[in-house]
Amino acid sequence: MNIHTYEKFWLAAAMALIVGFILTITYGTVGIGVAMVDDSGETINPENINEHPEFSSPGVEQVGENEYDVYIQVVQFAFLPTEVEVPANSTVNLHLTSRDVIHSYSVVGTNANTMVIPGEVAEVTVNVDEPKEYGVICTEYCGSGHHNMEGKLTVLPEEEFEGGSQ
Amino acid sequence: MSSKLQREIGHDEFDPKGTLALIAIYFVIISALWVFMYFVEFLGNDLTIVGTIL
Amino acid sequence: MSLGADSGTYLDQFPDEAKLIRATFYSSFAALFVGALMGLLQVLHRVNVLRLIPSEDYYSYLTLHAVLLVLTFTIFFLVGVFTWGVTTSLDRGLEDLRYTWGWYGLMAGGSLLAGITIIGGFFDAIPLSAAVLYTFYAPLQAHPLFYIGLALFIVGSWFAAIDWFRSWWAWKSENPDERIPLPTFMALTTAIFWIISSLGVAVSVVVFLIPWSLGFIDQVNALLTRTLFWFFGHAVVYFWLMPAYMLWYVMLPKISGGKLFSDPLARVVFILFLILSTPTGIHHQYLDPGIAEGFKFIVMVNTMFLLLPSLLTAFTVVASMEHGARQRGGTGYFGWLRALPWRNPVFTGMALAGLMFAAAGFSGMINAGMNINYLVHNTWWVVGHFHLTVGTAVALTFMATTYWFLPQLTGKKIWNKSLGLAQVLLWFIGMTFMSNAMHRAGLAGIPRRTAEPQYSGFDFQPAAGSVAELNMQVVIGGTLLFVSTVLFIAIVLMTIRGSKVDTLPANGYAETLSGPEDAPLVLDNLRLWAGIAVALVVLAYALPLASIISRGGLFGPGGSPSPQFIDTVVFAGQAIADSLTGVVR
Repeated sequence: MNIHTYEKFWLAAAMALIVGFILTITYGTVGIGVAMVDDSGETINPENINEHPEFSSPGVEQVGENEYDVYIQVVQFAFLPTEVEVPANSTVNLHLTSRDVIHSYSVVGTNANTMVIPGEVAEVTVNVDEPKEYGVICTEYCGSGHHNMEGKLTVLPEEEFEGGSQ
Repeated sequence: MSSKLQREIGHDEFDPKGTLALIAIYFVIISALWVFMYFVEFLGNDLTIVGTIL
Repeated sequence: MSLGADSGTYLDQFPDEAKLIRATFYSSFAALFVGALMGLLQVLHRVNVLRLIPSEDYYSYLTLHAVLLVLTFTIFFLVGVFTWGVTTSLDRGLEDLRYTWGWYGLMAGGSLLAGITIIGGFFDAIPLSAAVLYTFYAPLQAHPLFYIGLALFIVGSWFAAIDWFRSWWAWKSENPDERIPLPTFMALTTAIFWIISSLGVAVSVVVFLIPWSLGFIDQVNALLTRTLFWFFGHAVVYFWLMPAYMLWYVMLPKISGGKLFSDPLARVVFILFLILSTPTGIHHQYLDPGIAEGFKFIVMVNTMFLLLPSLLTAFTVVASMEHGARQRGGTGYFGWLRALPWRNPVFTGMALAGLMFAAAGFSGMINAGMNINYLVHNTWWVVGHFHLTVGTAVALTFMATTYWFLPQLTGKKIWNKSLGLAQVLLWFIGMTFMSNAMHRAGLAGIPRRTAEPQYSGFDFQPAAGSVAELNMQVVIGGTLLFVSTVLFIAIVLMTIRGSKVDTLPANGYAETLSGPEDAPLVLDNLRLWAGIAVALVVLAYALPLASIISRGGLFGPGGSPSPQFIDTVVFAGQAIADSLTGVVR
């Protein structure tokens, strides 16, 4: 097969780009430690969420010196609890599931973004630094009230945080 | 489809240097944009997800 | 190639097939018009310039926009173009016109059914609706006729694919030692991966969603049906793209005044799409729970390699244009660009579509990235990306080449070529504004698929510019696109109303600098490539699907149905199922 020299250059350059992209993503994973949402959460029956030991009382709970678990039920058309408060400089483990349809939990202006699928529990961990207020929205169409679905994630100065709400 | 054919160029005479020039420019732009998007927009953003509970 | 001593227009050569292709194109354009109208209404609604209906009903606009544009408009045009390509390159009419009109009827009937259910969503008095969007994720639920309509449409397209195989088999038995002509090769490879990939969504719809929407089964596994959708959902974008690629490879060089740079490389590109388009679907699910990171990583690698055939296409297509430009007298490293036939809307539309596709490569490579997906998933960035790809590379190519096809199919001249040129330019400019704003809005976190991206507790903060400025660009862009669409439809209608002429060019397509005789025989071994395609799909999907089913069950629990329609049919179905199984509720 006759491949022109220039097209061979381009083929090499294209492969270099592709490999470069793959290597960058890999660096993000192993170098920086970015983790994808995956199947480490349990499966759950959406109809029995209120019998689940943790999801039945959603909210923030301290589980370590600077570590907090947050359980959130996501429903048409709200996040329960709607407002989540955590202290600055801590590790926050979010656990999310849906009582009805597919939603998302997306912290606006950040990389904290996960799908929330009925039957599955989504578990993600973020490190929060300085105090800040973030809006949270659902970005996966979930029905006629989808555009009203809004919540809040507040990182409080450590002195102001009062041990969790449940 | 009017043909303003001025000359015929066969396979062996044709040298796509214009294409090479354009595609080299594209390569540079794409590479620069990738680096910017990944390291500035993505890694420079808040609340990156770093782990799932095991 | 000009074919045969009696070569005239396509209408002269194949009058019956021309009638069929006219039907597919006119169906396509009808869908384009209504879909584009929805697009304009959506843009005005989102930015809060004009809200004609309550936001709750916006999602019916959105469902109609997507289904009409990415299923009806694109696929009807595709089946027309590939029918042209196969019959022209094999120099042979279709095997059985009744069979052909049969698949056309299935596709038309299916579209109408699905379309009517979606439109029913605007009217309370009509007990039909399907406000579930183009992805119809369960447990959001549409009226059963929506799913049935979609299934009929897809099955019709399979029959179209088989039609082209029938032509090829018949031709092959009379021409056993010849290479498959390039347009036919492209249609066949596309048909193979279309059938492989749409099996995923067909299983989801036929095995799960239709019975569920009729009330025969209680629940479906939401993640499973979503995964089966995306098994199809990435490959479908290549299905839309392949006819545009075919036109860039076999029509654009000739219109540029030159020849296709390399037939063998074109075959390689189509084979790469055949084997790689389906095993990448999970990159639409990078943020899904229930799927292991390892599977997502493998899919990312596949997806990154899927950039290769498009990058190769860029070279071959531009080199073919350069060949034409230099034959027309162009010189220099960049000066040759001026020698191209920019006054011809067929050329300019395709060239601008290709340019926009190169820009789409930038957002596409980002979308392929596994962890960077956190930044863009479900934001308006993604919408900006696909308006460049299906919305321009595909749609603008289809519109531009219509200015060549319509005379060939009707025997009439294009009503006004200057307006045609204006039409393609308007599209390009409109899309530049709109898509650029969508990408930047997405980076600020502004979501897709919502009637009102205005929230009470916070403000979106773009890194550059303001939300107001982004909104303005979107409105300008969307309006220009709609005007361009109206202009296109007007040119088509006025052309059809004109009278026949004798002065049209003969039907044909580009010759090659490096022809099929330079292509290794193995490239034409369709069975081999189909086998490899299936193997790669099994490798990519067997384990994730097995995991999803074993974790969550074949039939869920996946949440109760969330009907986006009046559930009289569900109750009826439930009643039948209950009485058959003796269940008392």
